[in-house]
Amino acid sequence: MLRWKYSRPLLALLLIYAALGPILPFGPLRGVGMQQTLAIALLYGALALTYDLLFGFTGLLSFGHALYFACGAYLTTIFVNRLHWNLALAALAAVAITAIVALLTGAAALRTSGITFAMVTLAFGELGHVLISRDFGGLTNAENGLPIDAKAIPQIFIGVVNTRYLFWLALAILVFIYVAAWWITESSAGRVFAALRDNEIRVSVLGLNPYRFKLLSFVVAGVLASITGVAMVLVLGSALPEYASTSTTIALLLMVIIGGAVTRWGAVLGGILYSLANTRLQDLTQNAALEKLPKIISGPLTEPTFILGILFILIVMFAPGGISGAYYRARFKYVLRSTQPKK
Amino acid sequence: MESFLLILITGIGLGALYFLLASGLSLIFGLMGVLNFAHGAFLTVGAYIGLWVSTKIMTGGSTLTLIAAMLIGGIGAGIFAIIVEQLVITRLYERHIDQALVTVGVSLVTAAVLGGWFSKDPLMIPTPKWFFNATNVGGAAIQQDRFLYIAVALFLLLLFISILQFTRIGLVIRAGVENRSMVTALGINVRLAFSTVFFMGGFAAGIGGVLIGAYIGGVTPHMSASWLIYGFIVVVIGGPGSLGGSALAALLIGVTQQFANFYLTGLGDFVVVLLLVLVLLLKPEGLLGKAKS
Repeated sequence: MLRWKYSRPLLALLLIYAALGPILPFGPLRGVGMQQTLAIALLYGALALTYDLLFGFTGLLSFGHALYFACGAYLTTIFVNRLHWNLALAALAAVAITAIVALLTGAAALRTSGITFAMVTLAFGELGHVLISRDFGGLTNAENGLPIDAKAIPQIFIGVVNTRYLFWLALAILVFIYVAAWWITESSAGRVFAALRDNEIRVSVLGLNPYRFKLLSFVVAGVLASITGVAMVLVLGSALPEYASTSTTIALLLMVIIGGAVTRWGAVLGGILYSLANTRLQDLTQNAALEKLPKIISGPLTEPTFILGILFILIVMFAPGGISGAYYRARFKYVLRSTQPKK
Repeated sequence: MESFLLILITGIGLGALYFLLASGLSLIFGLMGVLNFAHGAFLTVGAYIGLWVSTKIMTGGSTLTLIAAMLIGGIGAGIFAIIVEQLVITRLYERHIDQALVTVGVSLVTAAVLGGWFSKDPLMIPTPKWFFNATNVGGAAIQQDRFLYIAVALFLLLLFISILQFTRIGLVIRAGVENRSMVTALGINVRLAFSTVFFMGGFAAGIGGVLIGAYIGGVTPHMSASWLIYGFIVVVIGGPGSLGGSALAALLIGVTQQFANFYLTGLGDFVVVLLLVLVLLLKPEGLLGKAKS
């Protein structure tokens, strides 16, 4: 069983391998397709972590988190394409405006709590999705997505040969979000977030304003999500309406639950695995063995969400805590057994 | 004036469709505190069963076929709702967040299964000839399907109100919405009320599925997505647990959306969400909802 003192160097090794992988003369990371797939997966890992901040750490079940991700992506693209700002300025402005959007929507939604809060954030998220996919104000190019002007992007991010820079960008964003999430959850505000999740009345009895702290958590998670949105535009080359859809938020929920909430690395792992599964399960399920099965069985099996959905239901019902939860339970048992005196 | 009448009646018809979804959602949420994402799956299952009835069992798209499709689709969706409730929701008793999550899973899996079995292209539900014909009301030419939606929603509203007011199980449901732990403490079997509410919700959603399938011109595995969201908005605005509130809010939303779409060039969805924010700021418990003490 892994111990903390071993798992931390292991993580460092993994990170070093990920950083060096694209320039090593061997290994799976040399392939450009793999780099692209992994870059997207790493960004989804980062995005899942921002959702964990909201859902896991603060206990706010939001169904509109994808809105802020899409805001970052679309606003950056619009500023670059329309106003011809340079990328850094556009990204900064996009993140700042997303913060304001998150502040306004959060301020309204947080007047409710629990399940009603979930419904209200769902409505906000859907509104964003509708505005984007209907080409509101002629800004978003509707269902086709909005490609970012290639001239505005630094040359190192363009072209198939340079995919490794995109991979490194995604890795850097993930590390940044991870450190930010770590710092926030370990700060005193982070303690209040956790306290709000566990017992809100107690927090207000202690003289703290629950509303303000929830709003803080909501805005911080939204801002971090918008940063991953900016990176996603660079990696994929365009902002897509799916970014804002409810199914993206639901995917985030699946990532966090499958990986395990409140452990940080669980959400990241869940995000990476989900993203890989979504792209790879399709290849896996199109093999010949399935075609011999009757359609009533093989039909659903070709849908990635079928397997992921079943897994999700089973985890919620029987294994709360997901992958990281299972790991910590196993380690706890191991520690318990090894510290108990032998009879 | 003609366009005003046209938009008004179309809006009421749309509100009627929203009500078919929201009535069940509201009762389920009011009684059990379950945010039921699987309601969209009930709708889709009802639509597919209705499709099956009206293409495989009966053909020709007569009025009778449509009624049979609605009834059998509704009953099928109701049974599916009870299965979902018994299989996953009752096992997570009082764990509201987990219940919401598990229903998200159910809706994903249902859409995946249906997507695997059937084509992703819209499948048409055969409709009677009069369905899309226009009739003249005060100078406005109005499609006749709108009146069907309104009639079905009114019928279900009356049916549900009579079940709630005049039957014993309805009494238990009403008492459960008011104070569930007290009802349980009195030794009354609330589980049966839960299943009844799920069947009623599934029944209405299934009928809604058949009608929505006809309205949007095709049944697809993901047809319920935006309808479910409107259902939620109606529940929040009307006040969870209140059938009358849902009816009122559905009407309000349908009509507002149509008028905003016409006079504000397609801003209907935006205005509806503004309305939601307004209600939350002024009356967070909803129009006819009771404030939680």
